[in-house]
Amino acid sequence: MRIDARNLLDRLGRNEFAYREFEDRFSDLELWPLLEALLRDPRLQTLDQSPAETPALQTDNSDQVLAAEPLKNLFSRYEQQSVLPSIAKPVVEEPVRDVRAMLRHLSDLGARGEI
Amino acid sequence: MPMIVCHGPKGGTGNTFVAAHLAMGLSAQGAEVTVISVAARDSLPLHFGLSPATSLPAITAPADEAVLVGGINLRSWRRASEDLDFVPMLSDLGYFQPGKERVLLVDVPSGETRLARRLVEHACAHVCTINAQPDTLALLPQVFGEAGAEGLARTAFVINALDETRRLGRHGAAFIRELAGQRLIGRIRMDEAVPEAIATLQMLGRYAPASVALSDVQQIAQAVAPTLDSTSSAWVAPVSLAA
Repeated sequence: MRIDARNLLDRLGRNEFAYREFEDRFSDLELWPLLEALLRDPRLQTLDQSPAETPALQTDNSDQVLAAEPLKNLFSRYEQQSVLPSIAKPVVEEPVRDVRAMLRHLSDLGARGEI
Repeated sequence: MPMIVCHGPKGGTGNTFVAAHLAMGLSAQGAEVTVISVAARDSLPLHFGLSPATSLPAITAPADEAVLVGGINLRSWRRASEDLDFVPMLSDLGYFQPGKERVLLVDVPSGETRLARRLVEHACAHVCTINAQPDTLALLPQVFGEAGAEGLARTAFVINALDETRRLGRHGAAFIRELAGQRLIGRIRMDEAVPEAIATLQMLGRYAPASVALSDVQQIAQAVAPTLDSTSSAWVAPVSLAA
């Protein structure tokens, strides 16, 4: 780390900067063709089929519900199928119908520093 | 003595950096840690502030030849990929039992996929270090297809060298978050202090105690710790991630 950056952090009493000013506008969130191709690859669903254990302690955190949503549901959204109740909770500002909407939602969460 | 396998799908993603700092983080939590590098060309010593001329002793070498850094035992086994007795040897040495007293981390190069899969079968965790770059993301379907559901059972993901000032980096990270869910146990932000520490032959914690990469990877070590006591065949998400 450069000495001037370190001095500035010392003066601010912090040990890091967080880049929260870089917000994505919806027009910036056009899906990259590579990501679209990957989302269509069924091999990525392997992780959904793989067992994972979660501790008993759970809270009703809708963001985590969205994060934990199986990838196959994301495919369903991409294909404009019905929205599952689990992702239609009030915290989601609008129904998540496709990948672009999902990315927009993630971007909003990131802009608010929630992910 | 549980085993953690560090293996990523692509070279240059920082797998050895993560392995080294997981070792330091778990050691700081009280574990007695051994790290084995199975790479023919080994950069592990550099992350411990050692000279590039350092040659790590074999895992079978006597204790008086050990290279210890901060209590962490650094070892190598360069013929691991063709050594069919490697896994039985680790078992004989007691490295597959749960518990925090002694921990084995294996740094497996990206190209050694068969060895990684053999080891992951016996590991309490597989830490897969990736970055958010498109050429790495493009490999994921192949990696998932080769590993299968059973092979991914203990896998957790780490995003390394994340630059959130770049749009593609943010989108790539968002994609990984959606893909991995609770299996994504952390991200390590891009930090120039990491290569600078290597260039000065110092450990990152000494060269740049305020490094963001250092604090990020320390959090990841805390997220991995619960798996050390696990006897489950599945990845156990830390409470902090599940809550």
